[in-house]
Amino acid sequence: MKMPTSKLGYTAAGVTLVMAMLVPFLLMGLFAKGFTKLGLHVDEMYSGGPTVRTIQKEGYTIAIHRAVYPHMMQTERPFVQMDWKPVAALPDHVTDTVDIDGEGRPGVRVSFDVPKDPKAPLRVNVDSLDPRYQAMHGVGKPKFSELIVRVDDGIFVRVPLSGR
Amino acid sequence: MADAMCAGLPGKTPPRTWGRALLLTLPIAMWSLLMSSHGMVQADRPLKMASALTAAFLIALFFLMMKTANTYRWRRWYFVALGILFPIEFIHNVMVLRGSMGIPIEEMIAGRTPFCFLPIPLLILPAALTKTLVFPGSILPGGGMAGGGMAMMVGLWLAITLIVGKGWCSYACFFGGIEEGMAALPKKAKWSKLDPRLRLVPWAVLLAMVLLSLALFEPAYCMWLCPFKAVSEYVAARNTVGLVQNGIFVVLFAALVIVLPLLTKKRTQCTFLCPFGAFQSIFNKTSAFDIKIDRTRCSPCVLCQKSCPTMSLTDDSIKKGETLMSCMKCGACVDACPKGAAVWHIRGTEVAVKPEKARLMFLYAAWATAVMLGGTIITQGLATLLQRVM
Repeated sequence: MKMPTSKLGYTAAGVTLVMAMLVPFLLMGLFAKGFTKLGLHVDEMYSGGPTVRTIQKEGYTIAIHRAVYPHMMQTERPFVQMDWKPVAALPDHVTDTVDIDGEGRPGVRVSFDVPKDPKAPLRVNVDSLDPRYQAMHGVGKPKFSELIVRVDDGIFVRVPLSGR
Repeated sequence: MADAMCAGLPGKTPPRTWGRALLLTLPIAMWSLLMSSHGMVQADRPLKMASALTAAFLIALFFLMMKTANTYRWRRWYFVALGILFPIEFIHNVMVLRGSMGIPIEEMIAGRTPFCFLPIPLLILPAALTKTLVFPGSILPGGGMAGGGMAMMVGLWLAITLIVGKGWCSYACFFGGIEEGMAALPKKAKWSKLDPRLRLVPWAVLLAMVLLSLALFEPAYCMWLCPFKAVSEYVAARNTVGLVQNGIFVVLFAALVIVLPLLTKKRTQCTFLCPFGAFQSIFNKTSAFDIKIDRTRCSPCVLCQKSCPTMSLTDDSIKKGETLMSCMKCGACVDACPKGAAVWHIRGTEVAVKPEKARLMFLYAAWATAVMLGGTIITQGLATLLQRVM
C-alpha cells in the first residue's frame, strides 16, 4: 500500500522542483495578475476615493472626490478630498469657493499659500459655507481626514464632514 | 573533523568527493548565473561586481552543502548576509528617495509605501469582507516606492510558499537573518529553559492582529508591533501616539532580534512574536517536503530539540517522529543529530528511505528560490556598499 503514496510523493516533489524553476518566468507574474483581477482597491482613507467632478478654474482645475466614510472602528472622521492641479499653474495664494456637491451652492471657501519650495510646509484655512462641512484654520497634516498636502503635481485638501 | 565522524555513522550521509559535489552543484551554478546575468551585463561597475560576487557566494555555499552533506551551517551564511544587506539596501533607497526612514503622509496618500510580506495575513479579512486593502500602497506590479506593488509581493509570496511552505522563513524571509546571526554568536545558550507554551504566542498575536486590523482598518502589526520597522521604515511620527509606536519598534527590535537571540541561541522574534510565521505554518501542509525523526535510530539525546532555532521539536513530537508545524526546514536538527535519525522526507514516502534524495530535491527547489529572491537583494545590498567604496 505504500507504493502509490510513495509515487505520489516523488511526483509532487518533482512538480515542486519544476515550479521552483518557473517562479521568475511564469508563476510570480501569473499570481500577481490573478491578484490584480480580484477587484480589490486600496482603502479610500489613504487614496482619497474616486474623483466625481472637476471644476475648471483659470489655468488650473479642482478635482472633487467622492466622500469617504470610515469603516468599523477606524479613528478618522468622514471627509471629502479636493485636488488643486497643476501646482505650477496655481497663484501664490489660492482662495476658492467650492461647490462640493454640484448643487449650485458653495460648500466651503478654501484658502492656502503655494510656496515655491515643494518641501515647504502647507497650511490651509477652510470656512464652512454649508453646515455639512467643518471649518479648519491653520491646519497642516494632523490626520488623514483633515489635511493639506502636496503630492506630485497637486495640492490635496481634505475637509471633514460634520455629524459623526 | 565533524564530517569525518559523520562518515562512520549509520544513517548519516558521508561527505562527498569534490567531483560529485561539483556535479551536484552544476544545476544551481547555471541557475545562479542565469539569475545574475541581468546584473552582470549592466554598465554600472558596482552592480556588475555585486552580481558576480553574489553568484559566486551562493554557488560556493551550495557546493559546501553538497560536499559536507550539512545544510544549516551553510544556509545560515546566506541567510545572515540577506538579513544584513536587506536593511542596508532598503534604508539607502528610502534615504535617497525621500531623505528619511519615516513614511510621510504624502507618500501614503500617493500609494508609495513599499509592501513587504508581513502584513499579508492581516489584509485577508478586510479584503474578503469589503474588497478593501488596508495598506497605503499600490496594488499594481510596478507601483509602490521602488516598483514593488502589492500584487508583485503577493505573487512572489504565493509562488514560493507553494514550493517551500514554512521554508519561506529559512530561505526567503529578508528579516530573520539578523536574529539568526545573533543566535549564532555565543557558543552556549545562557537561557536554555524556555517555557514551551511561549511557542503559542505568535498564534495569539496573529489572531489579535487579524481582528484588530479588521476593526481599525489598518495593518495593526505594522503600526504597533513590527520590530523590523527599526531597520526599514515607519510611519513618520506626527504626534505622541506616533512616538510611542516608534519606541515600541525599537524596544522590540533590541529585545527580540538582538538581546534574546544572544541569550537563548533561538530566533526569538520568529518563535515568540511573528504572526506571519504562525500564518505561514499553515502552509507547511502544502509543501511536498518535511522533516521526520526516524524512531528506530533515535536514542533520544534531544540534541535536535536543543539545536532547533524555533522550538519546533518537543519530547512528544520526537516520540511521534515528527516536527511541529512551525518547522521552517532550516536543517539544524538534521545536522545536529549524531545518529542520522532526523531526516529530510518527502510526504507519502517511507521515513528514512533515501533521505538524502529528499534533501537534494528540497534543496534544489529551496535554493533556486533563494537565489532568485535573496540573491537579488544581496546583490542590491552589495552594490550599495560597493558604490560607497568605489
